[in-house]
Amino acid sequence: MTGVVLKNVQKKYGNVTAVLDFNLEIKDREFVVFVGPSGCGKSTTLRMIAGLEEITGGTISIAGRVVNDLQPKDRDIAMVFQNYALYQHMSVRDNLAFGLRNRRVPTATIDEAIARAARILSIEPLLDRRPRQLSGGQQQRVALGRCIVRNPKVFLFDEPLSNLDAQLRAQMRLEIKELRHRVPTTSIFVTHDQVEAMTLGDRIVVMKDGVMQQVGTPLELYRTPANRFVASFIGSPAMNFVDMAVASEGDNFKLSGEGLTFKLPNQRFPKLGNSVGKHVRVGVRPQHLRLGAPSGDGQVGVTGKLMVTEQLGDEQILVVRVGGQDIRVADVDPELDFSTGAEIETFAAIENLHLFEQSGSEASLLRVA
Amino acid sequence: MTDVSLAQQRSVGFFGALAPGGARILFIFAAIGVCLIFAFPVFWLLLTSLRPASEVFNVQSGSTITIENFFEVLEQPVVLKALFNSFLIATLATILSLGVTATSGYMLSRFRGAIPNTWFSLIYVFRCVPYVSWVLPLYFVTINLGIFDTYWGLLLPHVAVHICFFSWIMKGFFDGIDPSMEYAAMIDGCSRWGAFIRVALPAALPGITALALLCWLYTWNEFLFALILTAHEVPILTVVMAQFVHEMGMEWHLMSATAIIALAPALLITIFGQKYVVQGLRI
Repeated sequence: MTGVVLKNVQKKYGNVTAVLDFNLEIKDREFVVFVGPSGCGKSTTLRMIAGLEEITGGTISIAGRVVNDLQPKDRDIAMVFQNYALYQHMSVRDNLAFGLRNRRVPTATIDEAIARAARILSIEPLLDRRPRQLSGGQQQRVALGRCIVRNPKVFLFDEPLSNLDAQLRAQMRLEIKELRHRVPTTSIFVTHDQVEAMTLGDRIVVMKDGVMQQVGTPLELYRTPANRFVASFIGSPAMNFVDMAVASEGDNFKLSGEGLTFKLPNQRFPKLGNSVGKHVRVGVRPQHLRLGAPSGDGQVGVTGKLMVTEQLGDEQILVVRVGGQDIRVADVDPELDFSTGAEIETFAAIENLHLFEQSGSEASLLRVA
Repeated sequence: MTDVSLAQQRSVGFFGALAPGGARILFIFAAIGVCLIFAFPVFWLLLTSLRPASEVFNVQSGSTITIENFFEVLEQPVVLKALFNSFLIATLATILSLGVTATSGYMLSRFRGAIPNTWFSLIYVFRCVPYVSWVLPLYFVTINLGIFDTYWGLLLPHVAVHICFFSWIMKGFFDGIDPSMEYAAMIDGCSRWGAFIRVALPAALPGITALALLCWLYTWNEFLFALILTAHEVPILTVVMAQFVHEMGMEWHLMSATAIIALAPALLITIFGQKYVVQGLRI
């Protein structure tokens, strides 16, 4: 059975389009993450699914039922908000019971559901406290509890970890992941943090300016980003990009940019043929650049001047200036000693290069494996 | 701030010239002085109310203390009726105006569109009109509606004024409450209206309590509307008090006794409600 289906969903505020033609099928028990920068329409889409925002066009169905005109209370969903949204004038227990009491669930069943949720989230000692007596992490756990007790068809998470400090955020991320196994429910999680998206999602939807950019598993997005935006958004440190002109040279394409020239075999990059005489953006992840000179046809070399090193303990990141721009090299042995200004030679395997159109959607020029 | 910078700050200006602790003592004296300035008339009023009629002009030197004045005013049916009326009008005006301002403030805080905008502009315009200039038109309106010198004739103008003044304050209270709490309630099974009643309203309760106390006190103390919009049928305490000044002279002792009686509930509310007012106006 299907969890949530969005068909051509649109949201307009007057003349401004917040979400454009959103199509997505979320399977039962799947955990989908909407990720993108602020204002990309991810929260708006979530609020449309929740019924808190009217839908301008298209249809949304939950468990096979079109919910466009249903009140939020009739959609059988539960939602966790960024600022917890706990009822401040009620105890934690009453917060958990509120939704069930509204649905006239028998008291014994409510008590049972609360006990179960409290056990799962380890909030038993907090049940008689007021929300403002709890820490941020505890409050968010209560908010999760409020969802669990209801046993809804879909969980909606609207940036639930953004208000927590870094350490707590990492911990709650793990707890949500664990919760998925204990309470498997279709979930939609909105975040602007790509680490959260990568670690939590079965599938990730990357959005920008109200338009869905790509849908895929974390690895698909990482390995084959559909366009330059996805490539730069997913992965940390962000992907390096270099502008290069394309020329045809026998069986190869010759790419040349500022301080950088290399050849790529035609048969591996057939789409590049359309870009001959134009510019493309070549992207490579900092982790895919290795120190040393390229050996053989399968590799391309990049040489530049070392500007800065960032020591992280388990690795160091080198910032190397090639032509006019800086590229980062990650995963460098932290024991190695470099002097600023030194010439650094690096290389990357051809299969790790990502090529993108220079204009328009900056779509990926897919290579053939 | 470090000790050094504190010392530097102390050494400049008028306060710097004082001995250590001098600024503190000066502040205490100033505070006591201000309190005395405000408390003295009340104290004098109390003294006057405890003096026989013949001694009200030498309150400070006489020695006769009597509570006869209180019995005398409380024996007058008009005073008793006025006490009851003032209490009723203040209480009803508070209930009615808060009922309207809670919903109106909530609307102004949460909804956008033509209706809230028009309502907001209307309130704004009415707030800009001087209070005094409302009285005469209201007098004619109440006469035409046939409600002059009735409970409604005084109650409705009070409620109208309160709605204009308090909707803004109430909007502020709701602005301070996170709307996602109401969204959560809507997902948890409430309608939009239910989310307001069961979640937003209880969350704003400290503010509403403070407003209720202020509204009650304001109506209880109000004089101008009561003077113009009522006559003999609905005597109001503040007006009755002023009526001890008449052609035969001024009955200061009786006026003072009535004033002390009128002061009592206000004083009690101020003392016991102060906590709520401070707490409520802080959210």
